[in-house]
Amino acid sequence: MSYQRVKPAIFSRKGGELSLSIPALTGLLVAVLDRGVPFRFRAKGFSMAPIIRNGDVITVSPLKGTLPRWGDVVAFIQPDTGRLVIHRVVRKRNDAYLIKGDNTLKMDGPVPRDSILGCVTGVERNGTEISLGLGPERYLIALLTRRGSILPLLAPVWRFINPLRGRSSG
Amino acid sequence: MTDVVRLDAIYAPSELVAREIEGEYILVPLSSGIGDMEDELYTLNSTARVIWNRLNGKRTLRGVVEDLAAEYNGPVAEIEVDVKGLVEELLKRKMLIELPES
Repeated sequence: MSYQRVKPAIFSRKGGELSLSIPALTGLLVAVLDRGVPFRFRAKGFSMAPIIRNGDVITVSPLKGTLPRWGDVVAFIQPDTGRLVIHRVVRKRNDAYLIKGDNTLKMDGPVPRDSILGCVTGVERNGTEISLGLGPERYLIALLTRRGSILPLLAPVWRFINPLRGRSSG
Repeated sequence: MTDVVRLDAIYAPSELVAREIEGEYILVPLSSGIGDMEDELYTLNSTARVIWNRLNGKRTLRGVVEDLAAEYNGPVAEIEVDVKGLVEELLKRKMLIELPES
């Protein structure tokens, strides 16, 4: 092997500047959660709207031996497609979970426990933390979303809450 | 404070995740207790990556330089300058730690 000097270089990048594919992002998510720490990244897609919108920054935390609970929003690998999906646990059946997007009609699953990577513990939109959908109300949302999309139900509530949030923060 | 890079020291990665992704070698720091894709990440060029892969807590820096000189048939002095320069950068960014002598 002949030697040709290329000086080593390290580049600092803002994570948001990197446009990673879903498989690439999944690889990083798995690697970080395996180290027992949360992973924060920008979500893509509309299946969890209005709780999680396209471009929201979400934090996925490792389960650390705990089992996902009914109503939790989880990150998992869809067994059929191998894709990373972030949806809500709506039912537990034996050792598997029925999971569904709040804004989708089709159920994911059954998803084995091993396919669930972590639980969404934070959602930020334009720098503001959004807590709706991750607290105790998640049980109600899980119940409602079993039957279909909750978007038509939540949209009026959201329209009511959003102006109030704007007033209180402004 | 200037980080002192010693040839007889052994260096290892600090808290971070390193992955080759779509042709880029990406380092995600975990030192703040979170892997944050919205925060600062690092990428390495091919030379830095070759060196990084040898900074695994097993060999002294002198050993790393000698390995590289042998493998790439290059001048030890030049490689030593490059390796020390990179290690200094990595130490500054807290991406590398010096292991205590056993």
